[in-house]
Amino acid sequence: MAALSTSSALDMSVRIGSALLKNPIIAASGCYNRGAEYSRVTDISQYGAITLKSVTRQPRLGNEMPRTMSTPAGMLNAIGLQGPGIEYFLKADAPALAHVPTAVIASVAGFTVEEFAYVAERMDGIPNVVALELDVSCPNVDREGECFAAQPSSIAAVVAAVKKRARLPVIAKLMPNVSDLKPIAKAAQEAGADALSLINAVRGIAIDVKNALPLLANVTGGLTGPAIRPIAVHAVWEVASAVTIPLIGMGGIETGRDALEFLFAGAGAVAIGTANFRRPDVHMEVLAGIVAEMRGRGCERVTSLTGLANPRFAGSRSVEAAVARPKTHLEGAHE
Amino acid sequence: MRDERIARDARAAQYVALDVPGTFSVRLPLGIWTARDGEFSVLFQEWGDRTRRLAHLPIGEPLSCIGPLGNQFSAPSEGQRATIVAGGLGVAAFWLLARDLKAARAHTTIVLGARSKLSIVGRDELAALGFDIDICTDDGSEGFHGSVVDRVRSRPPSDVLYGCGPPGMLRALCRYANEAGVECQISMEENFGCSLGTCWGCVVPVRRGCPQGTGYPKAPREIRDYDFARVCADGTVFRASDVLWLH
Repeated sequence: MAALSTSSALDMSVRIGSALLKNPIIAASGCYNRGAEYSRVTDISQYGAITLKSVTRQPRLGNEMPRTMSTPAGMLNAIGLQGPGIEYFLKADAPALAHVPTAVIASVAGFTVEEFAYVAERMDGIPNVVALELDVSCPNVDREGECFAAQPSSIAAVVAAVKKRARLPVIAKLMPNVSDLKPIAKAAQEAGADALSLINAVRGIAIDVKNALPLLANVTGGLTGPAIRPIAVHAVWEVASAVTIPLIGMGGIETGRDALEFLFAGAGAVAIGTANFRRPDVHMEVLAGIVAEMRGRGCERVTSLTGLANPRFAGSRSVEAAVARPKTHLEGAHE
Repeated sequence: MRDERIARDARAAQYVALDVPGTFSVRLPLGIWTARDGEFSVLFQEWGDRTRRLAHLPIGEPLSCIGPLGNQFSAPSEGQRATIVAGGLGVAAFWLLARDLKAARAHTTIVLGARSKLSIVGRDELAALGFDIDICTDDGSEGFHGSVVDRVRSRPPSDVLYGCGPPGMLRALCRYANEAGVECQISMEENFGCSLGTCWGCVVPVRRGCPQGTGYPKAPREIRDYDFARVCADGTVFRASDVLWLH
């Protein structure tokens, strides 16, 4: 893309724990599978990282149909963590990740603390995988449908267990369906999380009025798309005042302007989910939009945009610049 | 729609995913109907926001279009008699197949059904390929009074059935084909999310061991003894003997 070639003097890299991404645009989990499908229709190397669909310990068949539903400015989904389980994933899917032309974040889901720790540990050593994201927003069968991300003590238990067993940096994914995100974010940070991603899909239900029945087979779904963006920006804004670790903001990002909202609220990186379905080139447009904003402001490092609008932003904008970075294959054309 | 590559590469039962301007929504998947001379066409009914807007786009408006997507019908073996069974707009899957069967000089029958005479779609285009069309209508206003599956039952048996249409019709067709031991391929429709196979939003239950299924091992506590396949990427064409009709 022409706009990107002009960014050669800019430093677009961001750091998530020990992982260095060549730019702050990430494909959100669940929307990119293992990366191969989108390689057919766009240049996925322009992503700073792609996040894989969550992997659980056991294979999961997922929910019955219908699993998705269009809603005003958004989409409800209830896929139900369909997936191969970690053993089959390692055998069938993991080797191909070596060919993904950008960094990979592996998403881990589980129903017990031990499942999270086990799957996270097994993710070690997969080519290209630079970080783990913990999908702690899935139903916790041991706690009667509650999610790990609903309670400070629960999220802390998962993060601490994973940190003990996994060597990769750990990102805990927060959900918006709580009364106050700040204590949950703080608990994750104190338990050792290297970064937080927020927000997961917002819970929703759509009803077929003609038949007086829920439209999704799972009844409840996760709402994504532009409909949730202000909720997500608010969540980033709140959490940015509570923790110092990097935040990955997501929820309805479709343009550079949308991404800047998240960065200005306090996110160090952003993720794009549902918008990929409609515009597979969306990440390049978002990146070009951020680059244009940096040019307009005369700023050289994308990290300096973080938290600009948020007076209570507690993180650091200069940490990336202060750390002497090893040159890795992750550093792309922007270096 | 004009697109050299799609018109050239489109195969029977493949589709395109359109980004309809002025809507927030995922892409609209539409089966490729005719394709020739650098142009292809799609069949759709004005039903929701996307189809309404698509119908009223000015001629010449550029449209972002991914495709052709999905697998395709397998051709019949030498000497096999084929029957195309189309219900309503499901006929959209069959112009390319009919063209190929004609070129291969395969013995082909086309059974085309609709609610009534006025809602028959695709007849002229298929007739122009040189086929006699066996029309069925639910209300008896033209041709056979009854469903396309009833019509297929009443005709001399064929070796291969190709089906596309509403779910109820496909289910009945699969049941007939499986009972009669006739090979049957159906092109299915679902609400797609990504249209590329990444989101797992459009699955269909298939028997374990179906090559189009995930092939994932069965979880220890899983009571469901089937697999899922993605309609958008593993299909849209499935064998009747692989598809399970659970509800």
